[in-house]
Amino acid sequence: MAVETANSLERSSVIISVFSTTPGIGKTIIAINLAAGLAHEGYKVCLCDLDLQFGDVLNYLKITSETELTSEKTVAGAQRYLLDHPNKFNIKDFLIDYTQGNVTFSILPAPLYVFDAYQIDVQIISNIIGRLNFFDYIILDLNSMFSALNLEMLDISTVINYVGVIDFLPALKNYKVGYDTLIRFEYEESKIRLVENRADSQKLIEGRDVEKLLGEPFYHRLPNDYPSVNKSINSGQPLMFAAPDSKLTKSFDELVGLYTNRPKSVLQGEGQTSSSGGLFSKIKSWFGF
Amino acid sequence: MAYRVIVIEDDPVMLEEIVAVLRRSPDFEVASTYKQAHAAINPSAMFQPNLFLMNVDNEEMLDMVPDFVDRFPKAYILGMMNQWDPLVAQRVAQGGGTGCILKPFTAKDILEHLQVYASRGKNKPAKLISFFSPKGRAGRTTLAAILALLIAEKTGERVALIDADLQFGDLPIFFDLEPKRTVIDATQDIRLLTPVTFAPYFYPIKKGVSLLSSPDRPEYAELVTPEGLVEVVMMTGNIFRYVLVDLPSGFNPLALNICRISNLVFITTMINSGFEIKHARKAMDMFAQQDDGRRKVHAVFTRVNPFTEENRKKISEQLGYPVDYMIPNEYKMISVANSGRLAQGLPKDTLLMQTISGMADKIIAAKE
Repeated sequence: MAVETANSLERSSVIISVFSTTPGIGKTIIAINLAAGLAHEGYKVCLCDLDLQFGDVLNYLKITSETELTSEKTVAGAQRYLLDHPNKFNIKDFLIDYTQGNVTFSILPAPLYVFDAYQIDVQIISNIIGRLNFFDYIILDLNSMFSALNLEMLDISTVINYVGVIDFLPALKNYKVGYDTLIRFEYEESKIRLVENRADSQKLIEGRDVEKLLGEPFYHRLPNDYPSVNKSINSGQPLMFAAPDSKLTKSFDELVGLYTNRPKSVLQGEGQTSSSGGLFSKIKSWFGF
Repeated sequence: MAYRVIVIEDDPVMLEEIVAVLRRSPDFEVASTYKQAHAAINPSAMFQPNLFLMNVDNEEMLDMVPDFVDRFPKAYILGMMNQWDPLVAQRVAQGGGTGCILKPFTAKDILEHLQVYASRGKNKPAKLISFFSPKGRAGRTTLAAILALLIAEKTGERVALIDADLQFGDLPIFFDLEPKRTVIDATQDIRLLTPVTFAPYFYPIKKGVSLLSSPDRPEYAELVTPEGLVEVVMMTGNIFRYVLVDLPSGFNPLALNICRISNLVFITTMINSGFEIKHARKAMDMFAQQDDGRRKVHAVFTRVNPFTEENRKKISEQLGYPVDYMIPNEYKMISVANSGRLAQGLPKDTLLMQTISGMADKIIAAKE
């Protein structure tokens, strides 16, 4: 871990954006558990909820008490203050700390009101994220669109944790289309980390077929574990507390290991067999593959 | 049989041109011409006309469209315009007119317009229905698609589906289409289009239902301005009696502009983590602040489980608004949508279809 220096500009944080092109497939769960996992390893972590209109980070962590929740302690509040008092601005005034056991991380909450979300300026948000550079890791929870904000955030990200769930054909189409778009926008392939969520759920389309379609292997696969996720959301705790022994918790631990260059304990199999299922050939014909 | 035409045009040069065009065609017979609508209405009856051409750029004629409809219920009434004005076209439709046509026109143009308008359905303004969801993954697209199919089946009138979820629209995949023309082309060309030249931008899905597709690349979305899309939706209303628009998720200028001109807006939500009700409440609050928000905005919950009145009450309490429509889960839907066979393979005898069918009945019965 880096040592705090007088001039914080000397260091830059690792920024991990959690992005997808289909909504409702677990981005927020992934963002929260990455933040918790990295914090558990001893890193200073800030989780920014940039699903501006309908962010769920505070919901999922059950941070709902009146004292903690004000429209000021949000990304919108930070923007207002930065515009009005640029010299007095300290980003720490706008963060909420989440602590559970020995794990603490900071949160920059999404605006509480849609009207506030509408006022957000991309350049100012970029500036604000830049001021979080005293953190080792910044996790950005984005929504599922190629918006001006998301593109700016993907630009400043160190890696893009690009999430897909392959249980529904339109979702697969959007995953492929989104990946191709990222490549067309000239994001380096090494920066895009393909993460399959609910990887072992019953489905018509195999992960390895998707890898062939995208021409890239999955960086990581998170198993389907609805009961644990449910427990986590209902208790307002990250998975390591809500379901410490679950396979999903272990899988998140592995993903955190990948993002911190912790030595790998599990080698992933390379053996891939070709598939020629009827559905897959249909998909191939769609994408001219 | 030739149409017996009454032409009402205040510009003498234009009148002469129109009459010349009609006289050259065996399909038309000029019964009489007038310069003013109020001078035309009584004498016209003497000629048993079945087609009126009225210059609706003239305010007096536009105002009198309903009187002509009333007096000549079996005749076609075409409003003539120099430039396409969506609001004038809308007023002609509200007055019960057949539709509008751009000047100058040929005899063939008139026949083509009459054909488009005749298959459209009742001579009433289009019903614009938009499907909004706060975050997506709400069953919004599936619901819009099924409603489109059911409304067409029940009314025999023409129904349009517009995929305005510009970055990640799923309707082409639901119907296994690879469209060459999309809503992007439509918004760019709309100023140059008439109902007749716009109709081919739609792809037939099933009898009476056509799709205006989303583009295949997300970055094309930014080529669509909210104003351009409004013009596209309004023009669609001249060709189709029902226009169903699948919007992009969340509040954005595009979705809000389409909601503004819609007769009905469905706020669609699927409960998953439970916080979706909170988001729906936020969305309902936003719409409630607008003038006609509460009248035309309806809350719809999909995949409701358990599908009971008790649960409806529970959701309503959290929502702070009544749950206007509640739709049950049907696992078969996923495989149907997955196979691109939504138009053929709807699982008819299910509670899901019965429920959506009831919803279609209410939409059809709703006043314009």
